[in-house]
Amino acid sequence: MSLAIHTDVKEQAIAAATAEKLEEKVAVRRLDFYYGDYRALADNNFNLYKNTVTAFIGPSGCGKSTLLRILNRIYDLYPNQRAEGEVLIDGENILSPSQDVNLLRAKVGMVFQKPTPFPMTIYENIAFGIRLYEQLSKAELDARVEDSLRRGALWEEVKDKLDASGLSLSGGQQQRLCIARTVAIRPEVILLDEPCSALDPISTAKIEELIDVLKRDYTIAIVTHNMQQAARTSDYTAFMYLGELVEFDNTTQIFTNPRLERTQDYITGRFG
Amino acid sequence: MDTHEHIVRSYEEELSSLNNKIAKMGGLAEQVLGQSIDALEGRDPALAGMTIQQDEAIDELEKEIEEQAIVMIARRQPMAYDLRQIMAALRISTDLERIGDLGKNIAKRALAVVGEQQPKQLMLGLKHMGELALGQLKEVLDAYIERDADRALKVWYKDEEIDAMYNSLFRELLTYMMEDPRNIGLCTHLLFGAKNIERIGDHATNIAETVYFLVHGSAITDQRPKGDNTSSTPVALKRSAG
Repeated sequence: MSLAIHTDVKEQAIAAATAEKLEEKVAVRRLDFYYGDYRALADNNFNLYKNTVTAFIGPSGCGKSTLLRILNRIYDLYPNQRAEGEVLIDGENILSPSQDVNLLRAKVGMVFQKPTPFPMTIYENIAFGIRLYEQLSKAELDARVEDSLRRGALWEEVKDKLDASGLSLSGGQQQRLCIARTVAIRPEVILLDEPCSALDPISTAKIEELIDVLKRDYTIAIVTHNMQQAARTSDYTAFMYLGELVEFDNTTQIFTNPRLERTQDYITGRFG
Repeated sequence: MDTHEHIVRSYEEELSSLNNKIAKMGGLAEQVLGQSIDALEGRDPALAGMTIQQDEAIDELEKEIEEQAIVMIARRQPMAYDLRQIMAALRISTDLERIGDLGKNIAKRALAVVGEQQPKQLMLGLKHMGELALGQLKEVLDAYIERDADRALKVWYKDEEIDAMYNSLFRELLTYMMEDPRNIGLCTHLLFGAKNIERIGDHATNIAETVYFLVHGSAITDQRPKGDNTSSTPVALKRSAG
């Protein structure tokens, strides 16, 4: 028996979003994904709404990170992986062969579980990406670097040591540097793949606060193993299981009164 | 409602313990109510005294339940059904504690009217009302244990019967008092006793609402039946001619 989201449930979720006058930023339709012959995602359908945070939760191996990696086609870097169906960003299907993936990855930024600062100065970590897409004067670049570090809630801590190596920062600071680096190239969507898993509680709280601020300007998707984090930070939550999107609704509903027993079992720790 | 147990067994045990405390508290509340009605009717001072002590056990359980609920919320960050279970336990324990207090009050009134000549008809009416309330309490507590929202809903609708009984008892007691002023003392105590029973019925209805919410995650949408119109019942005073 398929655990796929029931049509009426999906329609209710979309109706709720429409009622709140939310704009579809990303629309995923009939999405399948294969690692070779193995189908990792089956018939996923959902929307990411503009300037909201959507959390993806589910047990290990359910396909959440796989799904995230489709949204900026980073799976393209690997052989034998393919996506079928449609992923529309602002109405354009990014799975189309004519899609410029570099431009896509500037529009859809990604932050990984393990902080990945470049082995460069803090300044260069930010400037490097900007230089790939834009030609700015020194003054303009300085301003952009500062703006990005401010958006990454890191400026005050590093403004006097922009020449220091990015690797000299603490784990939490490195992750904020990665977020700053992502916003530097003016994305519209930000993908966060378990961004706080490697961080201590205080750093985690700072990043959660940052997510709250960032969503005013960006559309955010976050994969997390931490249920409470999903409950705290997101507006919408998608519960995935065995490659299917089982339930999708606003976060309050999912965590107070989910429609499906399978969802309730997972969020209350009754799974297995 | 839930078919699976928590992976972490201690969580399951804590929820079970909360459940059991409510059941125990409910049993005590049933006892208190039953005994206080008997005390009032039989005017047995010993029974009345015992009832007052049992209420203390109820108060103690309420404190335990509140402490346990707070600790569980802090430690477990309960979600969905688990959160509703903990909130339900908190709300129901408050209603049961009030029922205990009201029962105790009825018992105190039983002590106050020791030695009075009791009007049979009125006492029968009071006893019947008390039994109705006790029945509601038992039924709603069973509904809680069974997590049966339909059973709870039946209790919710049936509160109108207790209200109707209270309305007629109210009028009867007024009539009694007006007929003979020597009845006023006794009837005032009986009136308060009847009011307490009616309030116990309301608390049982509250518990029914909580059980429904626990099971369905949403409140009852119908209008709550409100049959007690004694607050607007006019009292006709007959003026003597000369």
